[in-house]
Amino acid sequence: MCAQKVELVKSIPKEKYNVKIWNGARAIAEAVKVADVDVISAYPIRPYTGIMNSLAQMLANGEFKAEIVIADSEHSQFEIVKHASATGARTFVGSSGVGLLYAFESVTATSLGSVPVVGVIGTRALDDPGNFGMEWTDVLTTRDLGWLISWPRDVQEATDMTLVAYRVAEDHRVLQPHFIAVDGAAITHVSMPVIPPSKEDLSEFLPPYDLPYKVDPEDGPVSKGMHIAPSLIGPEERKVIDVALKRSKEVIKEAWKDFEKYTGRRYSPFIEAKNMDDAEIALVGMGAYMKDIELVADMLRKEGIKIGTVRLRYLRPFPNEELVASLKNVKAAGIMEFDFSFGSPNGTGSLYHEVATSLYDMDNRPKLLDFLFLGGREPTTEHFKKAAEKVHELAKGKAAEKKAYWLTLRGEDI
Amino acid sequence: MGIKMKKVPPINERYKEYEKLDWVVSHGVGVDHTADMTTFASVLAQAGYLKDIDSYYYMRYDDSPERNYLPMIFYNVFGNPKIPVLLHEEVEPIGNLFNTIVAFTSSVLIQKTSQRALLFDGAKPDAVLVVNTSLTPDEVLKLVKKYNLSKSWYGKIVTVRTSLIDRSPSFPLLGALAKGWEKIDIGSIYDALDLLGKENKKESVKKGFENATVKDVEVEIQNEKEVDEGIEIPEFNGKSWTPDIYYAYQKAASSAKNYSQRIAAMPRWEVLSSGLIEFGPKPGNKNIGFTTPWKFKRPILNREKCIDCKLCTYYCPNGAIDFTKIDFDYEYCTGCGICEKVCPTKAIELKGEVESVEGLKDEEVPVKRFESREYGF
Repeated sequence: MCAQKVELVKSIPKEKYNVKIWNGARAIAEAVKVADVDVISAYPIRPYTGIMNSLAQMLANGEFKAEIVIADSEHSQFEIVKHASATGARTFVGSSGVGLLYAFESVTATSLGSVPVVGVIGTRALDDPGNFGMEWTDVLTTRDLGWLISWPRDVQEATDMTLVAYRVAEDHRVLQPHFIAVDGAAITHVSMPVIPPSKEDLSEFLPPYDLPYKVDPEDGPVSKGMHIAPSLIGPEERKVIDVALKRSKEVIKEAWKDFEKYTGRRYSPFIEAKNMDDAEIALVGMGAYMKDIELVADMLRKEGIKIGTVRLRYLRPFPNEELVASLKNVKAAGIMEFDFSFGSPNGTGSLYHEVATSLYDMDNRPKLLDFLFLGGREPTTEHFKKAAEKVHELAKGKAAEKKAYWLTLRGEDI
Repeated sequence: MGIKMKKVPPINERYKEYEKLDWVVSHGVGVDHTADMTTFASVLAQAGYLKDIDSYYYMRYDDSPERNYLPMIFYNVFGNPKIPVLLHEEVEPIGNLFNTIVAFTSSVLIQKTSQRALLFDGAKPDAVLVVNTSLTPDEVLKLVKKYNLSKSWYGKIVTVRTSLIDRSPSFPLLGALAKGWEKIDIGSIYDALDLLGKENKKESVKKGFENATVKDVEVEIQNEKEVDEGIEIPEFNGKSWTPDIYYAYQKAASSAKNYSQRIAAMPRWEVLSSGLIEFGPKPGNKNIGFTTPWKFKRPILNREKCIDCKLCTYYCPNGAIDFTKIDFDYEYCTGCGICEKVCPTKAIELKGEVESVEGLKDEEVPVKRFESREYGF
């Protein structure tokens, strides 16, 4: 196990970091470089394209060596890394929106075949057509398939999360593929100061990729991801993946703890709760817009409203225990999400379903409202403020007229 | 090897409820028999319904192009609808299920592994076997006995050569079925044909009834009890997947005498590695797996024409042709016909399985050339 190899070292307080101003795409590409991947497959689609461009540029400049394959479609792109990873090569892949959905057959085969590919999805609205706004529905389609899914808040965290993703996915207790869902435009195309990851700091944190049974002629003939007969070995294969996802929680905790040792940057592994100690209401969400939501919460705090924010860093495995712990004293909470599930209970979104399911067994569970920001239209702080007010009213005892609000909608929200 | 083995019982309890029903199972070859088998099963279901028996039918394998020449199985069920349907994924029912087994071609009787297990492990002790063949019932019995039956059989064999009667084997086979199995009479089949607008096919059914040869059979299996005692599988010792454990399971599975034992020999999930790893054979060994479940033709070498160019060895996708001396390993040959194609001197010829195994001519064995395929892979 890689985690046990790691020895305790003191965090190195660096007086002066060599801070770079990078956009998300470039920063993630730098993390991929530090992870020293062997095979990259690429096919352009906004907003993921920036990552592949940066990687191609680095390879052209000779900054590191890797095999880069420009595939003929997303389907081939995901197939290439699946097979490369099974032979023992560390791989990187990524896509966005409908591109990811075109690759769906490979996406399922990668996770059900337990191949620890790491991919970055620049989230994008599903096409209707040509919509390049930010929406989470593309990644959420892969929610139930056995991929680990994490959601960074800013460029620095996206960079760090990419490195941690390799560590978690390749741990022998997990061995499942990992998506990092970076909010399209809001992270991929926003430049901000980034402390660059360095290979010297992280070489021990991220040991070389060591797959237990590689598809490699030198190790003798091995088949992986065999064709199966459902009556012979159906549920057993699924159970292996189920247990891997359950085990991944401890692996994630270990990995982020270790990451702090080597870099000095500290993250709470699953939940980032702000001002939740005395909060009466909470806004729950994921991703880049939590910056704005936290800003709104701070503004409302000054007005005397006891409000806190809860940011989920992982969607799979879902941190239900941590979420319950952070919301146990809250009277009402609002879920902020950028995805749809048309025709769902009360017209709510997928994240709402996850949160509501987690809270259901609590004795004094908070009341929930859902706020949907759809179609890629960008919400502003005004929208978030309005959402907080709705939740505040609900907490004060005023009955809500409905569960789900479309705050960016033009026209009557019925 | 250091792996402890333990004995486990076969898994067949779950079929007890279904044994109360009357079953007709029919076997054919995909594409060749798809339409005929659908007709057969629908007429039979209709006939059962007209006799006030609840009846339905379902199929395993569809007629999609990639299923060319794969076994096709239809189930006709008569009886209480309160018993739930056996679903499609219940591939190989086992126990005392089938009252009647209908083979659309006699070549299905000599197929290996799962399908043969299905034919005879799933049959009731008094099952009727209806075969579309030019063979006599005695010759069919010889074929059946060749593969160790797991239980005694006191039933009937009915043979009929449908190609002499009708282009579609389904109607003569319905007649033959009515002659061999007392639960369906020819009158209700006629009524069903009327209802389905196939009145003109009554003649074929009648001829099938008249031409069919029926013979009682009595096959006694002495060690029947032993078969049900179970199978030895590796004991779970808390360790997960290694080549040794894998080979032990593979050996256990290949020692299964019937399909229920084979299911019992599959590993529990804790043993599996992530990603379903299967190890290849050790150097110099061959895979013990189930390499060739389906084969309708096999290559025969004419040594006088063979110039020993080894092309067939190179092209064989299954490594079933020996290098030093050109020779076929029929355990691993899938009958794909590539060797025949590449042979420069036409020394290799594909022959029907029945013909090459028994030396008997069977006109119902599908012998389609690759060129004549309308679609497929």
